[in-house]
Order: sequence, then structure tokens, then C-alpha cells
Amino acid sequence: MIKIQFYSLIRLLLKQEKLELPAHDNENVGQLLQRLQQQIKTPFLHKLLDEDGEPILGTIIMVNRRNIHHLEKLATPIQDSDVVALFPPGAGG
Amino acid sequence: MSATKRYNRQILHWGDERQQQLGAATVLVAGIGGLGATVSELLTRAGIGKLYLADDGRIDWPDLNRQLLYNESDIGHPKLGIARQRLQQINSNVKVELLPQRINHSFQIPADISIIADCLDNFTSRFDLEAALATGSFLIHGGIEGNQGQVLTLQKGKSQLLAEIFAGTQQPAGEIPVTGAGATLLASYIVNEVINTIFGQPQLLNRLLIISLSDLHLSFLEV
Repeated sequence: MIKIQFYSLIRLLLKQEKLELPAHDNENVGQLLQRLQQQIKTPFLHKLLDEDGEPILGTIIMVNRRNIHHLEKLATPIQDSDVVALFPPGAGG
Repeated sequence: MSATKRYNRQILHWGDERQQQLGAATVLVAGIGGLGATVSELLTRAGIGKLYLADDGRIDWPDLNRQLLYNESDIGHPKLGIARQRLQQINSNVKVELLPQRINHSFQIPADISIIADCLDNFTSRFDLEAALATGSFLIHGGIEGNQGQVLTLQKGKSQLLAEIFAGTQQPAGEIPVTGAGATLLASYIVNEVINTIFGQPQLLNRLLIISLSDLHLSFLEV
């Protein structure tokens, strides 16, 4: 299973802290997020991706503690037992 | 006034030895705004040995809803001068050094600092601050936006960099919403973690604490 964790405004939008989905062969982060939206039936990808499907610079997406910005971004492969976290950090001080 | 009397209520909580550890500690507070003003005040009241304050801003009306060190009569004045004056009125035993400069790529951190509270209001300055840290230094990061905030401790050279964790994060356009209650609450978490770090027991090392004021929810994200 893939564990997906939701934080801050994403958690509030989806009204849950985490969800587990079975792993699919040859799936990447972008495909996993599309599958997640279909599963939970709550539109949320507009908070993460722009019209071209690229990440909006406001929410970090981590796979096993690593920001996908340093991996292969939305093409980062996902495997069984991976932990994916979606977190929009607060910028102010 | 003896330290035993002055700090009696907290010595009852953490003991004499830890009070002495606090009195020997030096902390840099970067950004003396919504988070940093309260962080500075609480560390001063707690009896920190020495504080460095870094900021280049002037006090303005929108600051007064949350920046507890400043009053109406301070409008237009540089923050650091007023902050030092108020902090020394609160506790004249604390040494307060000023770094009145913008935190950018040329920022240098004095050699006697190993604990830094990131109370800045933008990611670019945060990443520049982190780049200036000596290996082994502890960075306690705080950030807030609306009803959401986070606190995280990183150790330079052992932890991931803040710039890696928050890579690609873009500063929101325009002013960031922040309330007095939200900023003060986040500042208290930062101070608690700074003191834990001084005592050698950081609780948020490589562990983001994410605080939601809207439904009073706390969660953690390992990084």
C-alpha cells in the first residue's frame, strides 16, 4: 500500500489526515494524485497543479521525506510502501 | 534581584542547572516581527544570556496587531532600537546585540551563535540565513499564514536543508494574513523548542510540527 498524508489546508479541504491506496505498477506521483482525486471524489488537484498540470509553487509534495523537486517531480516513480506527503507551508513570520 | 527569586516559577519547573544553561546561552532571532518580537520577549523574560536580533525594518501600523514589543509611539522607528530598549526594560541582565541588516546572500552570522530562531517572513531570506549557518548549528524554523503554521528544527550538516525541504516554494503575492493570536501561539512553540534545544533535547529535530488554529489540530511530518 501507498500511504498518503495530508497537512494543513489540504487536510482541511479533504477532511482527513491520511489515506492508503494499493500500489500500481509503473505509476508516478502525478498519476497517483489523479487516482487519489478519483478515489476521494473531492476536487483538490487545482490546489496542487496549474492548468498545464505542473506543480503550483505553494504546496510541497514529498516522497519518503524528499521533496519531489529534488527527485523527478511529478514523474517520480511510486512503489509499494512509499509515503507521500502534501503540505502547503506558511510563508509569513 | 537574585536569579533564584526572579526565575522562581520556572526554576520550580526545570531546576537551577537548566536555568544556568539558559543564562549561558546565545540565540540569534532573525526577523523581529510577528514571530520574532514575541520570541525575543519570551527568551528575555526566561533569562537567556545573550540575544542577537536581526532585522532591517521600521515599525508600521499593520505591525501593531501582533508585534508585541511595539506601540503607536514607535511608528516609523527602526524595529531593532525599540526592541532592544523594551527588552532591556524587561530584563537588564540579558545582553542584546543588533544586526540591523537585510538577511540576504551576504549575511554573516557571528561566531558565538549556534542556535538560530528563523522568524523571517519570506523563503528567500530563510534560505540565505540557512546558508550562512556554521555546521552543527541548530535552526529552529517558524512560519505562519492565516490559520496555519509550522515549526521545525534542523541541524546544519546532519539534517536536510530547509532549502531542500521547501524547494520550489514560492512566496505568496501580496501581504500574508497573520493574526495576533496566531503569531503569538506560533512564537510560543518556537521558544519552547529553542529552550528544548538549549537543554540538549530538541523535540522537533527533523520533524515538522504543523499547527492548525482553525480546528486546533496538531500533526507531524518527518523530514
